[in-house]
Amino acid sequence: MTDSELRVLVVDDEAAIRRFLRAALTAHDFQVFEATTGQEALAGVLTHRPDIVILDLGLPDMEGIEVTRRLREWSKIPIIILSVREHEQDKIAALDAGADDYLTKPFGIGELLARMRAAIRRITTTSELPMFVSGELKVDLARRSITLREQPVQLTPTEYDLLRVLVTHAGKVLTHHQLLREVWGMGYENETHMLRVNISNLRHKIESDPTRPRYVLTEPGVGYRLRADA
Amino acid sequence: MLVVGLVISALTVRVREEADAAQEREAETAELYEFTRDLAAASGIEEVMQAIITHIGQTLSREVVIFLSEGEAHKPRAASPGFSITESERAVATWAFQHDTPAGRGTDTLPESPIRCHPLKTSRGVVGILGVKPTDPTAHLTRRQRRLIESFASQAALAIERAQLAEQARHTHLLQATEELQTALLNSISHDLRTPLVSITGALSSLREDSIALDEATRRSLVDTASGEAARLNHLVGNLLDMTRVEAGAMRVAQEPCDVQDVIGSALERLEGLLKDRPVKVDLANLPLVSMDFVLMVQVLVNLLDNAIKYSAPGTPIDVCARVTNSHYEITVADRGVGIPPEDLARVFDKFYRVQRPDGVIGTGLGLAICKGIVEAHSGNIRAENRQGGGSIFTLTLPLAKGQTG
Repeated sequence: MTDSELRVLVVDDEAAIRRFLRAALTAHDFQVFEATTGQEALAGVLTHRPDIVILDLGLPDMEGIEVTRRLREWSKIPIIILSVREHEQDKIAALDAGADDYLTKPFGIGELLARMRAAIRRITTTSELPMFVSGELKVDLARRSITLREQPVQLTPTEYDLLRVLVTHAGKVLTHHQLLREVWGMGYENETHMLRVNISNLRHKIESDPTRPRYVLTEPGVGYRLRADA
Repeated sequence: MLVVGLVISALTVRVREEADAAQEREAETAELYEFTRDLAAASGIEEVMQAIITHIGQTLSREVVIFLSEGEAHKPRAASPGFSITESERAVATWAFQHDTPAGRGTDTLPESPIRCHPLKTSRGVVGILGVKPTDPTAHLTRRQRRLIESFASQAALAIERAQLAEQARHTHLLQATEELQTALLNSISHDLRTPLVSITGALSSLREDSIALDEATRRSLVDTASGEAARLNHLVGNLLDMTRVEAGAMRVAQEPCDVQDVIGSALERLEGLLKDRPVKVDLANLPLVSMDFVLMVQVLVNLLDNAIKYSAPGTPIDVCARVTNSHYEITVADRGVGIPPEDLARVFDKFYRVQRPDGVIGTGLGLAICKGIVEAHSGNIRAENRQGGGSIFTLTLPLAKGQTG
């Protein structure tokens, strides 16, 4: 995928970080716009129409979470959080508010670019693609069929639903709450043990070594993610 | 006959009076004894005040309030459940406090007030005020009860003073410990923090110098150095933050049912790069979900694995094993490395303690201390042993929550 013409809005109040991101992202053919406050960020998304937003959490006028929430009221633009806060609670809050990904500072530019591309890819490839392939795992949502190394895999209805939700958000971290709500429904958001048991069972069926999973990855304390390119 | 009768009846009355008085004194002594016993059992100022309130409240059927002195002022600090104090009752307490004399109901000062206030006096001064208020407004204290309140008040004052002194002593000790930690931090860490910065600054300044013609390989190596040292610095800062959390007791342990396999897997994933050339054998009995803090326990395993990698030769195996006994579960991390000198086994979990190694093992001496802090916050324990056939083995034992038996 080529990055040419892609527009990115960098929101951070630290001039040093904006300067470094501008240099690195421009070198990778992004057109870079900058904002230093939450208000500027909200206005910037309207005026510059970026393809993706890179957002710091601690902004002088409002929290990045609040910026995310307000953007999500009308926009599906990919949002990647860049923050020094490494607490799981902060990550969960950002993801639950609608952020696409979360990267803790300090970070490597390679890692950031990979996350940006993945987030943009997820939004441009419409979710109408019913066939998901990653490594030796194939999931055909139209036929409800799962194969591993061409061998059919039998899943319980709950395990299937879990995998289906992961597939439709492949590559993205889904929080425990998001998974519980999508698979079990409202009111089950705190039944984490049901999720853990089903993830464990699912792994025993689709992973060759459930201790070193290749497809269903754990984001400790936050949630799970299906690897899109295993 | 009449005289004899009168004398006898007078004697009988006196004997009875004396017997009554003796009984009363005995009852008082018993009550006072019970009171002091309750006070002795209480630890900390809050418990002491609760013991005073409960005991006096029950013995005298009164609502009780305790004011404590704070400098020149005094504030209500504890009271019987549902007791709310009025402005005029506060005024009684203030008077008693300022004049160092009982005031309010049944005394010469402000006798119309519903509350009776006694100063809580010790040799060092007035530590507070004890206020009592009858639940039944028509009930008055008997002479005996007034005497009892006096005795209660002096016992209560001593108990409060003792608790306050103990608290001060603890506070002083805590401050001292914090100071010691800070000094140790500064001494040991300033070196560790500066060293990577020296390398980074050096590498960057060389790259910036236009006059020096650097060949591609040199440039590359400078960049790699700077980036490796930056990662090391970040790791160190992370460890310091973790350690501060453990030290400050600010670590919140979220106990929730976790899949041990997932915990171990997440730790292995975090160290993927370092474990590349290592055969890692994971031995898991069929474990139930066990209660723990997922993120913190991953951190413990990451530190133990990282330690195993550092202190054993490249290519040698690392074994991770988890099993459940009847009331505990146990996770072990074992390597085939150099082992630990027997005299160091107990000290490896101390802050900044590093087993002496001649050849460049870098670390902060914090990893295992953090492990210990986290495991203890889970009410568990961790130990280090030398392994049969060479190497070391770290075992963490954690209690199973109720209803979770293997």
